[in-house]
Amino acid sequence: MKVKEIMTKNVTSISADANAREALDLLEKKQISGLPVVDSGDKLVGMFTEKDILSYILPSYIDKVGKFIYEENPKSTRRKFSELSKMKVSQLMRKEVVTIGEDTTLCEVARVMLTQKARRLPVLDKTGRMTGIVARCDVLKAMFEEAKAAANAQPL
Amino acid sequence: MLKKFIILICISLGLGFFTKSIGLSSHQALAISIFSVSILGTLFFWDFRLGFTFIGISILLITRTIDLENMIKSASVEVILFLVGMMVIVGLLKSSGFFAWIVSLILRVRNFTANKFFLLICVISSLMACAIDEVTSIIFIVAAILEICDYFEVDPVPFLIVAVLSTNIGSSGTALGNPIGILIAAKSGLTFEDFLVRAFPLMLLSLGLTIFIVRFWYRNELSELDRKIKELGQNEILVRLISVPPERELKISLGIFGATLFFISLHHRLELLWGLEANTILLTMPLISSGCLMIWKWQRARDYIEKDVEWWTLLFFMLLFAQAGTLKYTGATDVLARNLAGLAGNSLSVLIGMVLWISTIGSSILDNVVLVAAFIPVIQSFQSLNLNLHPLWWALLFGGCFGGNITLVGSTANIVALGILEKEKKVRITFFRWFWVGLTVGLSTTLLVWLALLFLPIYH
Repeated sequence: MKVKEIMTKNVTSISADANAREALDLLEKKQISGLPVVDSGDKLVGMFTEKDILSYILPSYIDKVGKFIYEENPKSTRRKFSELSKMKVSQLMRKEVVTIGEDTTLCEVARVMLTQKARRLPVLDKTGRMTGIVARCDVLKAMFEEAKAAANAQPL
Repeated sequence: MLKKFIILICISLGLGFFTKSIGLSSHQALAISIFSVSILGTLFFWDFRLGFTFIGISILLITRTIDLENMIKSASVEVILFLVGMMVIVGLLKSSGFFAWIVSLILRVRNFTANKFFLLICVISSLMACAIDEVTSIIFIVAAILEICDYFEVDPVPFLIVAVLSTNIGSSGTALGNPIGILIAAKSGLTFEDFLVRAFPLMLLSLGLTIFIVRFWYRNELSELDRKIKELGQNEILVRLISVPPERELKISLGIFGATLFFISLHHRLELLWGLEANTILLTMPLISSGCLMIWKWQRARDYIEKDVEWWTLLFFMLLFAQAGTLKYTGATDVLARNLAGLAGNSLSVLIGMVLWISTIGSSILDNVVLVAAFIPVIQSFQSLNLNLHPLWWALLFGGCFGGNITLVGSTANIVALGILEKEKKVRITFFRWFWVGLTVGLSTTLLVWLALLFLPIYH
């Protein structure tokens, strides 16, 4: 089975010039954790995810300072939340995005997801235009279905 | 990019042809030319610098400018291993919460005043830079400054500049503060005790002078912080902001670190007592400690080596030292030393000034390790001219550390601190906002060191 058979085709995406606060609201409204960022020709230019917002909200040095527990929210988190409405998606999005082609096999998608630690992968056509997105649960479900069907066809 | 490449090739080739035309041998000219590529590489092509040194050292070997045995000898593996050991220990301190504990101590200061905060960041920055290393130390000092300035809604830039200035000054206090400290200790025969008796007090004096200057320079900013403290109340929320889990691991890590410092500080006496070669204990102590902790934390041992040790920087240092060793091996530094001594009229006092000011000004633009690596063989060559080398080593150490204060790219600590500031506050300090205060502190502290090296017999 190829990824184009299981990917979600009507993908909600956002433009790089969109407001970061509005993008966050969109994530909340659609109950999703990430949005592909595309240009006017549907070419993928980045990914805007909850993780990117969280890593912006928290101080950038926390991983360098070492082990500690926040007992209160630092004042900077409030300030950074209010700054979101003045920022563009392009300032927060991840620009290096792992992508796959429409004809990639499920096992290869699973391998890329595992090795690149990706929860979802945008699917591109040969011209580089984004045509869909595939999540880890979609791949797992399809692989399971495939294995079940194979087992039924050739009983041991 | 292409323009910079062309400049680099022109300067290094030009330097090679020039030195050849004034009578140096082909090997000496080639060694100088290749070393200049490493210097320019750190200036213009930070990401390419390791690639340049790989190719550079290969050319030196293929052209028989240096042989394998001497290349390995000059690479100063002992210094690299020392730095690896220290980086592993710092990795343990980081993961056990030691740095977070220091940050929480700063946040919990009672009866918080602007002056108290100001003095605290100066003293802690310099002492931590002495005991650990300047780059690690500055990260958590900046973290504390940003939390406090955010809380009191004041501009963090003056406090951050003060912390960096104090860090660079503090890094000259012991052989651990800066890679150039251990490099000088390994090559000069100066012991850790020499650093404690000679470098540390002079560092404290320079810190005092710095505090005096910056206290006056930023008097308005300090009054503003005091006003904000009155307006917003004391630091109650900051006191509760973070907590560090009181784990056994933190205590054991502190014990290991303390023991390492203790044995390092006694290394010369122990080496004499046990009849060991000079610097054996100094260089092996971090290895023993990090070895023990990798056995204790065997499940994380790979992480300490792969994540906490900066192999990129260390490999660059190793090949840079080998290239600097080639300058000595070919005799190029002997020629330079003779010319410098001739220029100074064979006067030690003039040479002290020359080494101090060249290294101060040089390290304000260049990576101080590059500069010191090039200078070490030159100073070693002065020995054949029957000059007392001790004040020259101190001049090199202080010049290399204090020069970093002059410009905002003068040392790694500056770059790290400004990087965090830019990321966190979206503030980019202009060159001149740093330069005037940096220049004032850099020149006055170097002047103080110059007077001390000239007139105090302890440095001779």
